[in-house]
Amino acid sequence: MSKAAIDWQSPEANKRLAGRYAAERRFKALGLAAILVSMAFLAFLLVSMLSQGIGGIDLAFLTGSDSTEASTAGVWGAVKGSLLTMIVTVLLALPMGVLAAVYLEEFAPKNRWVDLVEVSINNLAAVPSIIFGLLGLAVFINFFHLPRSSPMVGGMTLALMTMPVIVIAGRNAIKAVPPSIRDAALAVGASKVQTVFHHVLPLALPGILTGAIIGMARALGETAPLLMIGMRAFVSTPPGGFTDPSSVLPMQIFLWSDEVDRAFVQNTSAAIIVLLVFLLAMNGIAIYLRNKFETRW
Amino acid sequence: MSATILLILIGGFSLIGWMVAKAKAQKLNTRRGALHSLPGHHAWYVALWILVPALIGVIGWNAVSPGLIHSAVMADPAAATLPAMDMERNAILSEAFNLARDPEAPVFNPEAQKLVQPIRAANAKFGAIGAAIAILLGFAGGGFAYTRITAGFPARTRVERVVQLVLLVASLLAILTTVGIIASLLYETGLFFRSVSPVAFLFGLHWSPTNGSFGAIPLFWGTIFIGAIIAMIVAIPLGLMSAIYLTQYATARVRRWMKPLLELLAGIPTVVYGYFAALTVAPMIRDFATFIRIHNPSTESALAAGLIMGIMIIPFVSSMADDSIAAVPQAMRDGSLAMGATTSETIKKVLIPAALPGIVAGVMLAISRAIGETMIVVMAAGAAANLSANPFASMTTVTFQIVQLLTGDQEFDSPKTLSAFALGLVLFVVTLALNIIALRVVKRFREAYE
Repeated sequence: MSKAAIDWQSPEANKRLAGRYAAERRFKALGLAAILVSMAFLAFLLVSMLSQGIGGIDLAFLTGSDSTEASTAGVWGAVKGSLLTMIVTVLLALPMGVLAAVYLEEFAPKNRWVDLVEVSINNLAAVPSIIFGLLGLAVFINFFHLPRSSPMVGGMTLALMTMPVIVIAGRNAIKAVPPSIRDAALAVGASKVQTVFHHVLPLALPGILTGAIIGMARALGETAPLLMIGMRAFVSTPPGGFTDPSSVLPMQIFLWSDEVDRAFVQNTSAAIIVLLVFLLAMNGIAIYLRNKFETRW
Repeated sequence: MSATILLILIGGFSLIGWMVAKAKAQKLNTRRGALHSLPGHHAWYVALWILVPALIGVIGWNAVSPGLIHSAVMADPAAATLPAMDMERNAILSEAFNLARDPEAPVFNPEAQKLVQPIRAANAKFGAIGAAIAILLGFAGGGFAYTRITAGFPARTRVERVVQLVLLVASLLAILTTVGIIASLLYETGLFFRSVSPVAFLFGLHWSPTNGSFGAIPLFWGTIFIGAIIAMIVAIPLGLMSAIYLTQYATARVRRWMKPLLELLAGIPTVVYGYFAALTVAPMIRDFATFIRIHNPSTESALAAGLIMGIMIIPFVSSMADDSIAAVPQAMRDGSLAMGATTSETIKKVLIPAALPGIVAGVMLAISRAIGETMIVVMAAGAAANLSANPFASMTTVTFQIVQLLTGDQEFDSPKTLSAFALGLVLFVVTLALNIIALRVVKRFREAYE
């Protein structure tokens, strides 16, 4: 490079600058295009499901159970199965996850053993869901002989999958509570346990619940682990209890999508709409909770 | 007495103990500061002393009572006519036990019918003994705790010790799950390797479980081709560019709307993606393949599954890239802009090189998620184990085969079903390794800029 001053007004410099600005615009357009492609795909997916399925949603569809006849098949049996499964999942995963988060964040000493717990929780959150299905099959069904295809086993399997998610969300929520709260409680004579359960946990609860609902939404849409424990039975009556053979909503979608009869296409899309409405509602509640109760310290 | 009634009874006794203890502690609380602990702590102390021994009694009795019931039934005169052969006898016995539990259970051996009465009698007798033991233990514990309620007794410390123990146990569940996964996968894989050699499994080129050939290389290739190649060709550019646009160009308002919408892609259940891939995308790709003169294209193509999987992964790549770009110090960006570089030059020459370790780690996590993905490939990829690089060919993956091998009718000990666990173990090890490496890279990368 010569030491001589660059002539910024020269045609070469102007051309070079124009080229750089054009590259800038191209890059920006590329970024926008990337987002728009993703959005367009999302829109395409939702619109095609809606247009195929909306005609199939009526009262009979929402209150009926599975049937070999597309016109009489309904989704209520699967919805009830999903509901029972989710009850088991939330009853197991929420208390266990919250207690584990409290322990790791507030009581755990810094040692090897606790590091091991942390590492295994972080890794469990990333283990493919089908592996949890294999665990459920090997342990709950083949070892403990719990009833196959039942919401109980399904819920337990999904609880193992959801717990790490709740632990991670819970730890972040607890971490966000400022130390001054703890100091104040300890200063007036509260014990460590009282401090945590009377002050820290109530303040962290909205954050924990947000994480828990998101984890539950993921569990609700999960199919692969339930396939492993046999929740793909044809169930023509809604399950009566936690140990009855049952199906779940995503499984019903999977089963119907396998039907040769073209008439099931509408059913499948309609069931997908029902599932997406549930998921949207859960995520909406989570976002509402977060916005309503979020405290900035 | 049924187990539910017993548990309700124990719970009720604990509640009574709680109230009695609270009343006693309140009586002692004559002036401010007279008690070491609050009455509530004393109450919980007594309640726990009833609950825990009683539950231990229930659990302990449940462990020993089946043996006692069994020997009681065998001593019954009705059991004397049973065949001496162990297998036959056990079959009849288990049938009789089922029958005693559920009168509508199927009966194959008429002898089972005769045993129902003695089994019921033994069940009732030993159940009553167990309940009595549990309640007695509860009373003993409660009485002992009740006598210890004095003004100076540190009930709070004792109760909180139990609370901390419960917290510790909850956190150990995570380790238990990990150990459970590893142990069950290893155990079943060990059984599988008794009949098929590990070398033949890991390096064999032919997969056909019904004919007894378990060479898993075509599955590994299919998994890598769909999850790590096709899906990443879609997800990396789209995810990275989305992240760059959202963090560097978009106004705050656009970002507030676009980011949740993008994240919605990750919230859609995989079964929906799978259905969409199979019903809408796969036929489109087949038509396209016919259009570009590919002979006899398959409806279930690797391309359809990989494309959809890539789209599902976009938000994942995008948020990881977002995080790592945000972690690059503002000073580096400002320095580049101050030298006269345009925004895109700054991004390409400064931000991305600086954020590269984080982005690479994000891609590794995305790959680990893609290869563990099940429903999309089950519904769109096909069952044929092909070893080809043609994206229009039908290809199968590890997860697809696990589902294929473990659904439907199966006996549990055949190498065919056991091979699913061996595949699961490989999948678990690979995803675990990818995660550990990626998390380590991210950690080191964060430290470098802090």
